[in-house]
Amino acid sequence: MHLPAGTRNYDYAHDMAIFRTRTQWVLLIVFFILLFTAPLYLDNYWLRIVNLIGITVIAATGLNILVGYCGQLSIGHAGFIAVGAYTSTILTTRFGVPFLVAFICSGIMAGLIGMVFGIPSLRVKGFYLAISTIAAQFIIKWVVEHWTSMTGGFNGLNVPAASIGGMTFRSESSQFYLIMVLTIISLFLAKNIVRTRVGRAFIAIRDNDLAAEVMGVNLFRYKLLAFFIGCFFAGIAGSLLAHFSRTISPENISFMDSVLYVGIIIIGGLGTTIGPILGVIFIRLIDVLVTQLSPALQSAFPSIPGNFTSGIAPMLFGLAIILFLIFEPRGIAHRWSKIKSAYRLWPFSY
Amino acid sequence: MDVVQFLITGTAAGMIYSLIALSFVVVWKSSGVANLALGELVLLSSWFTYAMLKQAGLPLWLGLILVGVFALLLGWLIERLVLRPLIAQPILALITVTLGIAYFIRGLVIVIWPEGLGELDLFPKTPVHVGTAVLSQELLWGAVISLVLFVGLTLFFKYHRMGVVMRAAADDQLAIQACGVPVTRIFSMSWMFACLLGAAGGILMSSISGVTFGLGETGLQSFSVVILGGLDSFLGAIIAGPVIGIATTFAGGYLTRFTWPGVTDIVPFIVIIIVMFIRPYGLFGETRIERI
Repeated sequence: MHLPAGTRNYDYAHDMAIFRTRTQWVLLIVFFILLFTAPLYLDNYWLRIVNLIGITVIAATGLNILVGYCGQLSIGHAGFIAVGAYTSTILTTRFGVPFLVAFICSGIMAGLIGMVFGIPSLRVKGFYLAISTIAAQFIIKWVVEHWTSMTGGFNGLNVPAASIGGMTFRSESSQFYLIMVLTIISLFLAKNIVRTRVGRAFIAIRDNDLAAEVMGVNLFRYKLLAFFIGCFFAGIAGSLLAHFSRTISPENISFMDSVLYVGIIIIGGLGTTIGPILGVIFIRLIDVLVTQLSPALQSAFPSIPGNFTSGIAPMLFGLAIILFLIFEPRGIAHRWSKIKSAYRLWPFSY
Repeated sequence: MDVVQFLITGTAAGMIYSLIALSFVVVWKSSGVANLALGELVLLSSWFTYAMLKQAGLPLWLGLILVGVFALLLGWLIERLVLRPLIAQPILALITVTLGIAYFIRGLVIVIWPEGLGELDLFPKTPVHVGTAVLSQELLWGAVISLVLFVGLTLFFKYHRMGVVMRAAADDQLAIQACGVPVTRIFSMSWMFACLLGAAGGILMSSISGVTFGLGETGLQSFSVVILGGLDSFLGAIIAGPVIGIATTFAGGYLTRFTWPGVTDIVPFIVIIIVMFIRPYGLFGETRIERI
């Protein structure tokens, strides 16, 4: 644990505090003020991007608990997100369930389905598990496509705006507050889950599951719990995504999206709290950069083929995943902590 | 009568799946890398074939030679540039890096071939009658070519010096290194081999249904063959392919009236889940015993 110079622990509560120095508290408060006044100086385009970042951060955080802390590779995250999205939509439109209840239910539903597909993780790992989660995603997609009476089939469903009490979150800025609050709560929960007994069990399983079992960690319980928690986050992210984009269809469940989520947490840094946030921001900024720059590029070089815009983004994502794995396998989070320690140790950095 | 029809169609289609699955097994056996970019490699080679034969209008023999050279080059490049720096990294990194490759190739295909559908009719269309069953010629050719390739591969791995060395590398990398064989060259060879097999599978597959992004999914479906047959078994892949093919056609024939349409597409994935629950290391796979 790297502590700023001169910081000592006088009691347990102080030792466990996430934000411990005055500077960190000031930075946090400044960040919150900046964040919650953002609708004042960001236009709708950027608010939309920040909203999307918030939702993706929730999903990526869930995947990070599953992959980064518990070491169970899942490449079906988009499928579980879809489970959450459809659960929330069906509950609110058909059964008139209030948004917040549907929101929690969608998390639980995705978590339960994730647990079912996580059962093979007790006997297999690595590649086998990756394949079975891919299979899970395709099976979920098929069910969604064909259970027309419930899910609307290939046409998808229209989703009402989220509403809590009498408030309805329709505009970008009101959605911004909803999403940001929920993102921050999720991050806080995730941070604390991995610091408890459960989180330490996850880390033990990741490092060596046989050794963990010998130490008395109940593999059956904790692996399934990891799947439940990871997919719970996916489910609530899906619920938010549905009420944010106001329409869902099976097209949103793509294998490439699942890959992208794995890529995000690799790029951000596996097994760190800040990693998924940095990874999501990185990926979304590439996205923005591509959509902003490629029309200019296309007008400058008319010989560029027409599908350049839709093709260049996946190419860059793939390249980013490959390059990060080769040159910075611990992700941006590691680079960030290096920068911080360089700042702390300057000018005697040895 | 239906049964014979389904059996024959399923076996023929399954053999092409086997071919793609073998491409996975070659790499897994020699270097322990799980190649999830399989579908995209198949996709890229198929589009390249389309470009050579249809867009550039080359004669068949020249086009196929060029495709072969392209596949070898592709395999060499992937191993040299991406996998070589990651030797001895954890399995998680090795799996996700192939996902990165998949993403990259998919983007590349979108940029270069925006049309999204290419017709690749290499074989005559008239169906063949086998007893009471009717079989399209593409499937028949696919099965025959796959069979020839299986025999060739088996002979290669049994008698050719390189094949023997590759099997030895799969068995024990340290021992083969002590014998003076550069293991990295084996890795390179296996990737080139894998891309060649993938290209062959891709050409056969796309001459049936055209070159589409569906090939990426076909690659994923062929993982069911690998899983059912056992990850490190050539024989397993060759046997499991027709089994999956038959299961798919039977499901298409008999199950569709009980369930929703399109059940054939996910039969391979259901097989994966079932195998995972019952016998995770497959029919012929080696059960690994782990120690701390």
